[in-house]
Amino acid sequence: MKTLFTSVYAWVDERLGLEEIQAFARKKRVPLHAQSFWYYWGGISLFFFIMQAVTGVLLMVYYRPGPDAYESVRQITYDMNFGWLIRSTHSWSANLMLGAVFIHMFSVYFMKAYRQPREFGWWSGLALLILATVFGFSGYLLPMDDLAYFATKVGLEVPASAPVIGPLIAKLVRGGTEVGAHTVQRFYTLHVVILPALFIPILMFHLWLVQKHGNAVPPAEENKPVAQRRSIPFFPNFVIKDVAVWLIALNVLAVLAAIFPWDLGPQADALRPAPKGIHPEWYFMSQFQVLKVMGDWMRGTLGEVVGVLLFTGGMVAWFLVPLYDPNKSSGRKARQATYFGLAVLAVLIITTIWGYAAL
Amino acid sequence: MNYPFWDVPHIGSGWVIGLIAIFHVMISHFAVGGGLYLPLTEHKALREGRKDWLEILRKHAKFFLVLTGVFGAVSGVGIWFAIGLTHPEGTSALIHNFVFGWAMEWVFFMLELTTAAVYYYTWGRIPNQLHLKIGYFYAFTSFFTLFIINGILTFMLFPGKPWLEVAGTGQEASRFWQAFFNPTFWPSLGLRCMACVSLAGVWALLSCSRINGDDQPQLKTSMVRWSAKWLLPSFLTLPLFFGWYLWEVPESQRALLQLGISTISSGVFSQLTRASFIVMSSSIVVVAVVYLFAWRSPRDLAIPHAIGVLFLALCATGSTEYAREMLRKPYVIGGYMYSNGVRKTAVAKNNENGYLATTPWIAKTTPELENMARGEAMFRGQCMSCHTRDSYRSMTRLLAGRNRETIGNLLKILHEYALESPYRKFMPPLVGTPAEIDSLADYLTVISQAPEPEAKPKLAAAPKEAKPN
Amino acid sequence: MKKEYNHKAVPTEGEMTRGAFLKAAAGGVGLCYAAAAGYPIYRYLSSPIEKVESAATVSEVTVPDGQKLAKGEAKMFKFGAKPAMLIHHQDDSWVALIAVCTHLGCTAQYESAKNRIFCACHGGVYDPKTGGNVSGPPPRPLTRLEVKVTADGVVVTQNPTAKT
Repeated sequence: MKTLFTSVYAWVDERLGLEEIQAFARKKRVPLHAQSFWYYWGGISLFFFIMQAVTGVLLMVYYRPGPDAYESVRQITYDMNFGWLIRSTHSWSANLMLGAVFIHMFSVYFMKAYRQPREFGWWSGLALLILATVFGFSGYLLPMDDLAYFATKVGLEVPASAPVIGPLIAKLVRGGTEVGAHTVQRFYTLHVVILPALFIPILMFHLWLVQKHGNAVPPAEENKPVAQRRSIPFFPNFVIKDVAVWLIALNVLAVLAAIFPWDLGPQADALRPAPKGIHPEWYFMSQFQVLKVMGDWMRGTLGEVVGVLLFTGGMVAWFLVPLYDPNKSSGRKARQATYFGLAVLAVLIITTIWGYAAL
Repeated sequence: MNYPFWDVPHIGSGWVIGLIAIFHVMISHFAVGGGLYLPLTEHKALREGRKDWLEILRKHAKFFLVLTGVFGAVSGVGIWFAIGLTHPEGTSALIHNFVFGWAMEWVFFMLELTTAAVYYYTWGRIPNQLHLKIGYFYAFTSFFTLFIINGILTFMLFPGKPWLEVAGTGQEASRFWQAFFNPTFWPSLGLRCMACVSLAGVWALLSCSRINGDDQPQLKTSMVRWSAKWLLPSFLTLPLFFGWYLWEVPESQRALLQLGISTISSGVFSQLTRASFIVMSSSIVVVAVVYLFAWRSPRDLAIPHAIGVLFLALCATGSTEYAREMLRKPYVIGGYMYSNGVRKTAVAKNNENGYLATTPWIAKTTPELENMARGEAMFRGQCMSCHTRDSYRSMTRLLAGRNRETIGNLLKILHEYALESPYRKFMPPLVGTPAEIDSLADYLTVISQAPEPEAKPKLAAAPKEAKPN
Repeated sequence: MKKEYNHKAVPTEGEMTRGAFLKAAAGGVGLCYAAAAGYPIYRYLSSPIEKVESAATVSEVTVPDGQKLAKGEAKMFKFGAKPAMLIHHQDDSWVALIAVCTHLGCTAQYESAKNRIFCACHGGVYDPKTGGNVSGPPPRPLTRLEVKVTADGVVVTQNPTAKT
């Protein structure tokens, strides 16, 4: 048994160079300090993404986009064995993934892990976040129930409010003047082909960068002399803990999916009045609320335009932070970047809570 | 005066029992498993001459004494208060049959509490061999409290044929032992023992995580690994005991497990399947995580890791207790008493004379109730042990979109209790005269009218408005 | 269980086999757990096959004394695992339907006074002649069965073109 394994291993190793990978994994070390906990959130996000891919493929087995969309989701939820479980896991995992990505992003930000030479890590991460929200938006419509229909209708008002090209983009995304079977078909294509085709290469790039530069240490740790810094080997020590954390994440997912299975509302009907308090998913709540408030403050489309510009400006600044605060020495700029981060966090949290309170 | 059918807002009275019980199980099973862990570990330390182990063990014993002696004992008594208020009929039936059993348990319980204190306070003051004997005596007494309560709990799932034959004849006591050693007694005892041993390891890991791994690497590694090993027996034998248990569960109850496979339905029918799913997932994950966190990297085991493990163990035990409760549906005592407190044999009598006239929990001196009050009395007596008006298994949600006619039809189905009724698997029959059932339908029609979903404050106020009806 | 971990008196060779045994047992049990984790996915993927197979198991049922059913009355019977109903209409036509409401699977009832099939769970209404979903939440009509009235009973068979 042992000898068979060794000889097979040797055969593969000769052709693929497994030893090199092993040597690399052995050499790689992960810093150990008071903030090490935050290192797990990138891995947790990755885990939820893998869950998305697996459950997503399983849902594709029975899902039918187009006019039959609602009926096929109804079958998945009410007829197919454990279909409700697969669907609930997919929905919950999507939300948990976005939550984990946000935590990952802010922990990276406050640990200043975007600084030189990790700028591309920061930018690719932001690209992944934007793609993930588009994943969420396009996936939300697919069941074509009441909520999905009206939330998408409301959500598409955001690009439509952009000046000049807005309405054109909205029409193109919708595949018509109203959300309907064509929209589902489009969103489905986006959700299962285009977005994964964009997402996976960027994700690979993102992961490769982490391997290339290693984990960043927070400034407080960086100021310590090298002899005082502690670290653990990536393999097996860190991997073991990573797997354990993934398992805990899996169980949280299982508990949520089983206790709060995702419901399916009545079939979308454009002629019915929209249910009250229709709102987008929580990760769009902040933008939604800002647009609403701006619309109340200013007349006509001006409010919406200002709101969109405000958000776009904030995102550009967020994107460019590595250029503003590039290296470990700059004290004043580093502080300002931290204040900016805290302000962004505060605005997001406050507008989100405000949004839910104002429903 | 009417007996206070307990009206707990939001979670419902059942969950008051549930929350106390889950808390209690986490601690009481530790009291049994930890009772074995302490003397065994002490024995091992003495034999191998490990002074450093004894020091840690002594701290663990103190933690054990406080946790089990205070929180375990108090929550156990709490269950008594809660079940008496939530389900007087079921509690009464249990006391009538098992008063002798509980008397025995009380003896073991008193011995257990006393020995635990003696064990801790004589630490290092009496000869080692005598101290060990006290420890083993503790393990023995605490095991027997589990042994006895297990008989009563499994009796509630299915009392077994011999007892059911004499049920209601006044001769129940003559079949005490058959009822006690009912079909699921042994597999359930096995499952619970495994849970005890695992929880002993899980709680011990919490104590071990406080050892400084940098100062005493050898001590930490050895103690963490020893404690982690305590999850191995359940890992190996759980599928076995679980299979045996399911084998002994009556066919009708086992069928309940299937209900939630293909559908989430309106949520209620599939609860058992969904709870069982969490049982499976949590039991597997807790062992895997202990292996990775504790066995593979014992020196790095910190308090957050141990708390993570404890959280998983809580998921596993909580969902197991919930699944066990759901497995009994539509009964509270299998084949004998329905979950609304109506005895199977008393259904006809209730239908003829009226539920309100038959149930002992409503004063007979009350003058004839007007329609709504009668409906509410029916609701309190027959629905509220499982449902609430507007939150847990909410009437507002479950009856949404139905009018008086369809609610009346639903009650008719529940009342007729035909063999092919889908509700029969889960819900007890609705008993009472046609007039009583009409009153209930009127009452349900009023309380199930969803409050207008406009503003938040109104939503929150709705339950108060519903009450005076 | 406790003895296994406690007695160091066991000879070294025994220790070795015990370790090997534990490893093998843990591996075997681990496989059981892995299978349990894969079980929902297996059942999910095999749903259509199960549905076809359970539908194929029963294709013909005789309702004893069904021919004695009075006009305007209905009789419930089991078609395989499913409840079904046989209706003798006023115009002497016979209709048999699977009585499982297509909404959430409750059992629907024939109401002769209102000449409709009614599902009390959520108020679904079907046409008693065709099984068509007339009003309420049901998304699809009830499944129709073929009826043949004989001297000993009514033979009900699966409609070969209908899907279940």
